[in-house]
Amino acid sequence: MTALAPTLLETPLTPSRLAFLRERGTGSSVFVSALTAAFGVILVDTTFYLGALLQNDPFLGDSKTLAYVVQILSVLLTAVAMYVAAIVTANTFATIVAGRTRRIALMRLIGASARSQRSEVASQGLAVGIIGAVLGLAAGVLVSWGGAAIGSLAFAHPPQGFSPLQPGALIPAVGVALTTWFAAWAGSRRVLTVTPLQALAGSAERSVAETAASGTRHLGAITMFVLGGVLLAGGVVVGLSSPLGVVVAFFGGVFSFSGLAIGSVLVMPPVLRLVGRLFGRGATARLAAENALRHPERSSRMAIGVVMGVTLVTMFAVALESAKALMVRSSAEELPPGFFAPFDAFGTVMMLLVAVSAVIAAVGLVNLLTIGVVQRRRELGLLRAIGLSSRQVRRMVLLEAAHVTIAATATGLVLGIVYGWIAAQSLLGSVPSMPDFQPAGLIPPVVPWIPVVAIVACTAVLTLVASATPTRLATRVAPVEALAAD
Amino acid sequence: MYGDGSADRREGQVRILSVEGMEITTTDLGLAARVQHLTKTYGSGEGAVRALDDVSVGIRRGQFTAIMGASGSGKSTLMHIMAGLDTATQGRAWIGDTEITGLGDLDLTILRRRRVGFVFQAFNLVPTLDALGNILLPFELDGRRPSAIERARIDSLVDILGIGPRLRHRPHQLSGGQQQRVAIARALATAPDLVFADEPTGNLDSASGREVLQLLSTASREQGQSIAMVTHDAVAASYADRVLFLGDGRIVADHPRRSADEIAALMLSGGAPVAPMAAARAGVPA
Repeated sequence: MTALAPTLLETPLTPSRLAFLRERGTGSSVFVSALTAAFGVILVDTTFYLGALLQNDPFLGDSKTLAYVVQILSVLLTAVAMYVAAIVTANTFATIVAGRTRRIALMRLIGASARSQRSEVASQGLAVGIIGAVLGLAAGVLVSWGGAAIGSLAFAHPPQGFSPLQPGALIPAVGVALTTWFAAWAGSRRVLTVTPLQALAGSAERSVAETAASGTRHLGAITMFVLGGVLLAGGVVVGLSSPLGVVVAFFGGVFSFSGLAIGSVLVMPPVLRLVGRLFGRGATARLAAENALRHPERSSRMAIGVVMGVTLVTMFAVALESAKALMVRSSAEELPPGFFAPFDAFGTVMMLLVAVSAVIAAVGLVNLLTIGVVQRRRELGLLRAIGLSSRQVRRMVLLEAAHVTIAATATGLVLGIVYGWIAAQSLLGSVPSMPDFQPAGLIPPVVPWIPVVAIVACTAVLTLVASATPTRLATRVAPVEALAAD
Repeated sequence: MYGDGSADRREGQVRILSVEGMEITTTDLGLAARVQHLTKTYGSGEGAVRALDDVSVGIRRGQFTAIMGASGSGKSTLMHIMAGLDTATQGRAWIGDTEITGLGDLDLTILRRRRVGFVFQAFNLVPTLDALGNILLPFELDGRRPSAIERARIDSLVDILGIGPRLRHRPHQLSGGQQQRVAIARALATAPDLVFADEPTGNLDSASGREVLQLLSTASREQGQSIAMVTHDAVAASYADRVLFLGDGRIVADHPRRSADEIAALMLSGGAPVAPMAAARAGVPA
């Protein structure tokens, strides 16, 4: 970076600079950032497209409030996308760093400084981010272009002059490159704690080191969560008199969820422990349950990625249904048939777009599970030596994945219902959906069962898919590997 | 729903019982395990390495046997095959009266679970389970609780090994010596046909190392436990009733109990007995 004129000593190193891209975990984080960038680009394009589409709609075109709502949603959704991307990327990188501990320790042993090691990780993050962003931008624009082409056939009043390669679409791509860089830097915090001695440490695993998180971080997380909760409640109250309540609630959501994500190590382990009990007392079930809690931070991060996806999808489903209920309630007479069609289309597209974040979370899950298996080859060898059959290995890894997804899905469904209801309530609590209607006031959340069933089915599939690679790797471990004295 | 291993067990028993042969059994020979004309090659063609070359040897029942040899002598390969951790290229192997050559992965796994105990140099314990959980693991993998007799055996092992106050500790809370004691308790708990120890003192200080060796030799002497220990430490081997030497994939010497000095001299001569003068000369670094 600073070496504009490479010295003679540096030159031979150049070909190996990109060797890290072949490392396990790095490839998938390129994929994650590409997916995220594509997601962001498609989201921006889609929200622009939907905004234009709704304005063209004969039913809703004259509703100033609704156009306003769509614009707010466009901005907020983009913000949500960037936010999900940042957390997932940071998680992936933190795990990659955890997997590299020994190599970093070796570099430290030879004489590298902790800071130089950290900035190396961060610069790899930037490289990953740029590659991912470029790939994602290309894919996103392509998909948006295809989507718009289909749209102009499907809709009666397609928006005119829509171009997927608009300046707005560059924002998520640049954002992903930058957030990946930042996330890699943030996720590499643990590099600073790696001691040269860890290169020599052999037998006893330091599983306690990760649990010792800083108290100030926890305090910050709790503060954010409480502040977020207050804002969410405030959003509902404000929402009873103005649709601007949704803005208050949005910040409440961001704060409370950030608090949850940062403090995930406080929230997820109890949930994981509870799910672990459901698995019973068999040896594989117990081993799987213990594995999920072995690195509480890592499993919590892994879980929170899935929680985020499930929360967002549930939130949209519940928000949509609750919004419909609010409008029905605010109307004095029967609503015209087809009134909700644009809402349903809008909601479905949103849910599908948001489901992409669940796919990103799934990639993170595969990554984390795989690295988890790779990092305990010797332990798996030991278990195989003392009598764990390969079928039991398979069951153990599957249960490990199920453990995380079940805990995450349950948490996500609860959060999604709460957030979705608050979103609808704070946005539409005061709005008469037609000029002569009455404001709806407070209603209970409406939970549509089809999306909930779909979410549960998807996470079940996710569990199977996410455990496929780790299972393959785990069953390939020979019992003799327990004896390797490295 | 997750009743581990019950199906494994049934399947395993049937097959293991059916393998009993008509010829002279390992038991008839007074052996706990044996191999016949065992050959193991790695790779093929030009680059093939012959780790074991037509080895025939038995581990005597109730004895503590040390297997020695330089790196690459084939001692580890021999033990891996004997313990059902690896498969031979040619030849046959038995644990007790069960021929293990040709057994599938599941049968081998069940055999190891029930009839072989393992003590490794390092990383013996599952880090997520406490000491007791580790000791009971072979039973749990079998989908059962220890019987009353086994329970009594475990209690007495815990007592002898002095790990009673540590049973609820996780491995990282235990010293190296304590971890190795827990591993020994786990290895002995199922009263296996053979305990396989791979450099069990390699990672320990000399005092803990001596204690571990003492415990192994006591288990063999007092409970008739058959133990095979791979080591390149002359002091460790001096605790054994019998010392086998391997060199270039063959058994090159077979000695009864020897002192550490004698074993060190034998090591320098590649296992062959040496005259006192030659031993003294061999002490000079080559």
